[in-house]
Amino acid sequence: MSEITQKPPVPVADAEAERRRKEAYFTASQGQLIWARFRKNRSAMIAGTVLIVLILMGIFAPFLSPYDPTIAGRNKDYTNGAPQIPRFCDDAGCSMRPFIYGVTRERSLATNFRWVTKIDTEDRRYVQFFVEGDEYRMFGMTFDTHLFGVDKGKIHLFGTDDAGKDIFSRTLHAIYTSLAVGTLGVLISFVMALIIGGVAGYFGGMIDGVIQMVTDAIRTVPIIPLFMALAAFIPQEWSSETRFFFISIIIGFINWPTLARRVRTHLLVERNQEYVLAAQLQGAGAGHIIGRHLLPSFTSYFIVDLVISFPYIVLSETALSFIGLGLKDPVNSLGVMLQNTTSADVLLNYQWYFIPVFFFIALVMAFVYVGDGLRDAADPYSGSKK
Amino acid sequence: MTKPPVIEAKNLTVSYMLGHGFLAPKTRLNAVDNVSVTIDRGSFFGLVGESGSGKTTLGRALLRAAPISEGSVTYQDDEVRYDLADIEKAELKDYRKRAQLIFQDPYAALSPRMTVRDIIAEPLEVMGLTKTRAETDARVREIAAKCRLNLEHLRRFPHAFSGGQRQRISIARALVSGPRLIVADESVAALDVSIQADVLNLLKAIQRDMGISFLFISHDLSVVAHVCDHVAVMYLGQLVETAPTRALFERPRHPYTSALLSAIPSLDPDDDRQAEKLEGEVPSPTDPPPGCKFHTRCRFARERCRSEAPALREIAPERHVACHFAEEFDFSRQTAPAAETV
Amino acid sequence: MSDALISVQDLTIRFRTDEGLVTAVDRVNFDIRPGEVLGLVGESGSGKSVTAKALMRLNADNTDYDAASKILLNLPEGPVDVLGIRRERDLRVVRGGAISMIFQEPMASFAPAITVGDQMVEQLMIHTTMSKAQARELSIEMLARTGIPEPSRRFGQYAFEFSGGMRQRAMIAMALSTNPRLLIADEPTTALDVTIQAQVIDLMKDLVRDFHMAILFITHDLGVIAQTADRVAVMYLGRIVEEGTVRQVIRHPAHPYTLGLINALPKLDNLDADLTPVPGDIPSPLNRPTGCVFHTRCPVAIEGTCAAREPAMHPASDGHMAACHLTEEAVTEGMSA
Repeated sequence: MSEITQKPPVPVADAEAERRRKEAYFTASQGQLIWARFRKNRSAMIAGTVLIVLILMGIFAPFLSPYDPTIAGRNKDYTNGAPQIPRFCDDAGCSMRPFIYGVTRERSLATNFRWVTKIDTEDRRYVQFFVEGDEYRMFGMTFDTHLFGVDKGKIHLFGTDDAGKDIFSRTLHAIYTSLAVGTLGVLISFVMALIIGGVAGYFGGMIDGVIQMVTDAIRTVPIIPLFMALAAFIPQEWSSETRFFFISIIIGFINWPTLARRVRTHLLVERNQEYVLAAQLQGAGAGHIIGRHLLPSFTSYFIVDLVISFPYIVLSETALSFIGLGLKDPVNSLGVMLQNTTSADVLLNYQWYFIPVFFFIALVMAFVYVGDGLRDAADPYSGSKK
Repeated sequence: MTKPPVIEAKNLTVSYMLGHGFLAPKTRLNAVDNVSVTIDRGSFFGLVGESGSGKTTLGRALLRAAPISEGSVTYQDDEVRYDLADIEKAELKDYRKRAQLIFQDPYAALSPRMTVRDIIAEPLEVMGLTKTRAETDARVREIAAKCRLNLEHLRRFPHAFSGGQRQRISIARALVSGPRLIVADESVAALDVSIQADVLNLLKAIQRDMGISFLFISHDLSVVAHVCDHVAVMYLGQLVETAPTRALFERPRHPYTSALLSAIPSLDPDDDRQAEKLEGEVPSPTDPPPGCKFHTRCRFARERCRSEAPALREIAPERHVACHFAEEFDFSRQTAPAAETV
Repeated sequence: MSDALISVQDLTIRFRTDEGLVTAVDRVNFDIRPGEVLGLVGESGSGKSVTAKALMRLNADNTDYDAASKILLNLPEGPVDVLGIRRERDLRVVRGGAISMIFQEPMASFAPAITVGDQMVEQLMIHTTMSKAQARELSIEMLARTGIPEPSRRFGQYAFEFSGGMRQRAMIAMALSTNPRLLIADEPTTALDVTIQAQVIDLMKDLVRDFHMAILFITHDLGVIAQTADRVAVMYLGRIVEEGTVRQVIRHPAHPYTLGLINALPKLDNLDADLTPVPGDIPSPLNRPTGCVFHTRCPVAIEGTCAAREPAMHPASDGHMAACHLTEEAVTEGMSA
């Protein structure tokens, strides 16, 4: 029935490597196990890379963008201009340096007072790197070097809007703004959720009941009317920065009930675990139990919750700014940029206004995939039950 | 002169009020109902019962992990004497060093995010038993060695270990504070049979070498028969019988104990002893039968059993039974091997 | 064997996991005759549950059945190649039709929001041509048959209203109502109190007698097997290491693992005996030992041989086989030393 098999002896070097690999697994902490699992998830790793790239683009936006994204940096001669893609070769020959064509514009009675753009293929404008340009502040210091620019005139990779502002620059800055709003909002939600959800989950009973009722009440508040009311209250004198903070804080306030509920659920489950009882039987106080056992037990889940909340906050802000209740010019965000896209003129003629949308889709999707990957990786111990 | 018992419980009752939500009517559940039991020092005391018997709650009450609603529990060792029903915070903290618990589930009882060394060291740190890290490490290594865990194991996380090994880590954690009493709550129930004996032998060695008293809670009578010196049988929160192990298994005096023993399937295929049929189901603990709680399933139940609850009385030296008519029954069992295996 | 009800041949089951292909069952062979009770005994990692689920094709999607594996179900209508079934609706015959299964956790096999009666009727409607009224009548009769008092009232109740033992009876009633040829019982009494377990075991013995059906009884409890089974197969890490009648295997174990398992059991008839565990730990399925799968823990392993060569199943006596390089006498002698 069954055969007699001979297995070849395992080479010593392999056995040693195997032993070390196993030992590494045995001594791996939770963080290391989660990272190992995350790495195996290809879509999550790709999303993670995309996310990091976008974040870097946002952080270094002033350097990467050739011009100031506000009115100060606009190109009066090229309003509503189409994207100018650099090229290497044309009929006149190829060049090592990428270049774009100059454009001339005219409008007159003949053209119905519309701007007609003519590309002058004789006028080559070479792209240069590390050019001097508009001043900007980054990390508290002032610089004026930009990654690229052209020797004559201006280059607009994504075109311009009706005031002549460079859409490429605005996109990068908008990424930064949205991330900043997101971070601030998430931080506020995080702190509130931890405290409120933590108290509810740890103590249970009546305290939990009351907090639950309050949380549910807040969740039922409809966002749009709330913001409309708040928008009416915001004084006009407030600077855009103040407005920015205010919006972020409000969004954070709207979002904490969801997170708090998650915290509470995690705590309710973990609180009844036997290792918590073991700690109580050692006479450990609530502080020790929370700090040493409960908090670490759901840190991984909580990080997942945070990462997944991010896109919601970004989208909330986008939606609010789009309908005019959130941020306003000169502060730049996707919502603000989309405010101008609702006319038929834009839809028919100036489609490049929508290019930033792809960046935001990428940003949100990256967050979602990373969050999902983290969630899948976050329970490294689930596989070890009998 | 014999030393006083390590645990003496008198009329211990643990009740919970059940009810959902704020406004629902509450029912009273007596998880442990008027139990009086004595655990001698150095003894390996078995507590058996089926589901709903209250054995886990009793074990927790002895550790003050369940509330003592009525009655008294006294703990005594060479140094201190505590009345657990009426204990102050500082005394309770000290008691935690002297009485510990080993759980059933080896997977849930260990925090998955701590190394084995930290898990075993935690009681020392929480209770402030050692002053320096070196002291802690030395003590951890000493106890780990007793449980056959070596230095390599200490650096690892629980996910690296099998069920039996994790249980040994649990045991090490319970031992590190130098307790005099350990409550082992179904400590081998979740382990494979071939590993159970290993853990049981370890517990016995601890009892022998360190003089620790054990309360061994289990539903598995065969295991209890082999490791315990005394046994108490519980049903629906009450003690129905206590006796030295050998005596209990050779001649149980309570009908429930007899039924329990006869229900254990024998390893001998030709043993055609019919299990004594216990009629019906275990009654709900929130609505126990009047009189003797066992009378609804007892084939010897009489009028008196329905109206009057029997007290736990000493029917013979060291033998206590809670049955009105225990003297009339003879449940003697054959304990000689019926068929040869090896 | 042509008179076998179900014949398992060279069953090898692997799972596709993150760590690679994990072998759960390795070249398992056994037959079950009609009306016979076969016990499948093993501890964690033995593969007994996976084997049983394979008979009903209940394993997960990442299951890999080896090409050489065959499970043949011999029904009066004709033989069924269980592993070869391609169409979903053809699986019905093995799932609840000719083969029924009861599980360890009865709460898990009843849907919580549907009454027990409705679930039983649904099962009958799928597998038979009965009318709803007939199905209801049969279900109530089965509930009574398994010893549930007030069956018509219980028919309309939900699973959570039943106690543990009663739920198990209801599950048995549901499994038997389609009159299966083979009942697979996966640890049916493990979660029950010992007094309830005794009742359920008695019930199953009666039903075997009345229905003349075969049972594949999976458990880790040798005592339960001794009382219910005709034959027993002992599994370790996916291999069958010993097989024979219950009397043969329990009284004259020929494999060191079986003997170790019996010795490790605390027995009530000899309270003075020491408890002897089987040394070591069960290896992880990711780390299957070479040669004989038990050699890492075997007290009588032969140096060199047992690690290198897998032992074939050789007969210890008529119908009693063990996969060990040593003879039964050598094993017994070696382990009692």
